[in-house]
Amino acid sequence: MARHLDNPPPRFTDDVVPEGAVVDGETHEGEVEDGSFDYVVVGSGAAGAVAAHALAESGASVAIVEEGPWVKTREFGESVYGAFKRMFRDAGTQVIEGRSFVPLIQGRCVGGSTVMNSAIAHRTPEDVLDDWTARFGLGGAITAKALEPHFDALERQLHAHAVFDDALGQNSRMFLDEARAHGLPAERMHRYEEGCRGSARCFTGCPNGAKQGMNVAHVPWALALGARLYCSCKVERVVVERGRAVGVVAWTTSTEPDARRPRRVRLHARRGVIVAASTIQSPNLLRRSGLRARSLGEHFQCHPGVGLAGMFDRPVDMGFGATQGAESLALRRSDKIKLETLAMPPELAAVRIPGVGRELMQRFGLFPRLGVWVMTVRAEAEGTVRPAWSGRDKVRWTPAPIDMDRARRGMALLARMMFEAGAREVWPGLHGVPTAIHSIDQVRLIDEVAPDPRAFGFIATHLFGACRMGPDPRASVVGPDFQAHEVAGLYVVDSSVFPTNLGVNPQHSIMAMSRLAATRIAAGEVRSRVAA
Amino acid sequence: MKLTRFEMAWAVAALVGVFPGSVDTGFASIASMDVPGFLGEALRRIPLRAALGLRAAIWIVAFAPLPTLGRFRTIARLGQADRERVLARLAASNSYAVRSLVMMLKTFGALLYAADDGVRARIEIPAVTANIVPLRVRRVQAA
Repeated sequence: MARHLDNPPPRFTDDVVPEGAVVDGETHEGEVEDGSFDYVVVGSGAAGAVAAHALAESGASVAIVEEGPWVKTREFGESVYGAFKRMFRDAGTQVIEGRSFVPLIQGRCVGGSTVMNSAIAHRTPEDVLDDWTARFGLGGAITAKALEPHFDALERQLHAHAVFDDALGQNSRMFLDEARAHGLPAERMHRYEEGCRGSARCFTGCPNGAKQGMNVAHVPWALALGARLYCSCKVERVVVERGRAVGVVAWTTSTEPDARRPRRVRLHARRGVIVAASTIQSPNLLRRSGLRARSLGEHFQCHPGVGLAGMFDRPVDMGFGATQGAESLALRRSDKIKLETLAMPPELAAVRIPGVGRELMQRFGLFPRLGVWVMTVRAEAEGTVRPAWSGRDKVRWTPAPIDMDRARRGMALLARMMFEAGAREVWPGLHGVPTAIHSIDQVRLIDEVAPDPRAFGFIATHLFGACRMGPDPRASVVGPDFQAHEVAGLYVVDSSVFPTNLGVNPQHSIMAMSRLAATRIAAGEVRSRVAA
Repeated sequence: MKLTRFEMAWAVAALVGVFPGSVDTGFASIASMDVPGFLGEALRRIPLRAALGLRAAIWIVAFAPLPTLGRFRTIARLGQADRERVLARLAASNSYAVRSLVMMLKTFGALLYAADDGVRARIEIPAVTANIVPLRVRRVQAA
């Protein structure tokens, strides 16, 4: 084993990688031609890293190709902009277009979005799996029973547990008390972490290596089993010969604006190509690779979320505690909404705090008393994913009227809870409602706001669909065995194959589905449908 | 994409309108930070469309004193109180495009302003340069 960083001594999992296990496109000289592996995995996020690890565990040789850089734990800083420019797609400026612009948060680094999310572990709700069976014909292939051993294994591997008392934080503590006072069952978040110190820095990368993102878990574990990582390499297309996926062509990338000319990377896959590039990038990669399924890029869904901020009469201190420490699923089925907490970094809080000039400064000075609670909607609206003229990705989506209605009710509920928890003022962030409301009587203004998406400040974090799974090639992109209907040996294992959204944080479902797929592929349970 | 000297002056004036700092609040003004360096670097990194949006925001704010205050001068030629009036009206505009672009400008300002070590010290948050967070097992007591 060779030390990847010579100084100081290893402390985090990602400090040490086997000699020659990483080819870094930012610094690699010359082209990489015809590296040959059993499987090439595109993407190193929740889906790709887990698939790569499972395949490597089965004894297969594996290449992981990741578009972004590998930012190591000891490089993580406090600055949100520093994280945006190095680890987020489009430096954090990506948006969904529709009747309004909805910011879209995606990681673009080794570990993908697991580097900056809150590592929340929710098993796929059984009512969702039942719906997939009933409406999308996945019965028998994707079941709670089939997923259970994978959930069990992932929970063990990644230390999933409820947030410990000493890392909970006052923002989450107040939420739990208030939700229960409202008769809403609420729980501490289950997360993958080991040794969380409550730094409230999940969003910019855990500086303690406690959060079990893929950058410190399945990626280094796969490398230890012999896998090779090509980071800062963007896959341009999957190479298809005689109806079968046989490799990928990629180009080196850089996060630096004045980077050198890209170099070509060509990797051969003897047994298959596993696409796990995310709901946005996977369908466009398949399109660039020549797939033309009618449903490719269709049925995009998400969980739009809105954060409600309140100024309390006592310290909240969002700078301490689990970034997302508490939640309530009480209204997930009845109202399609989920309530949770969020420790917002000061840079984003300064945007969320209403006003400009002296008014903003006075409120910002009370940052230690600021609390943020979030409502996410299991939105029914569907959108599309297409390539944009610039070569980037174009996502079109507009929330449906019923989604707006649910969002409005969820926000009103959170506002009431905040006032009852002692908020002096609440900032709804809704156009048409005063920027600050000062009493519970004014919450009705939220209930009355026009259901216009342009009035709301949604953010999209959980993304689904666009390469939908199903048995019918006319209505889906991949079969229930994760293999593309059009190309043998081409598998899609990320949340783009999910027939619907979930209503809960999806990382656990993505990883379990991916592990299920990789296990079946490695065991030879998936047969080519197209003759090679 | 690069901003012209005039555009940069408008951008700095607008951001000072948003984040002026003051003695009574204990905050420094964003004017004391490297706004041109930050915006210049950001504009080289972000996609073209986002850069065009930011540039549009700067132009809207620059010439907003005329429609909002009836004054024929740019934002850079206004005093702080008038800048705040202009920006507050734009932020509450009925035009979705206008208020979204102004919010975008505020966002870029916030990314610079709230990353400043002095600002963070004022709100009791560790400096951006603090890479490894010391163990802080403590509770916030209710008042």
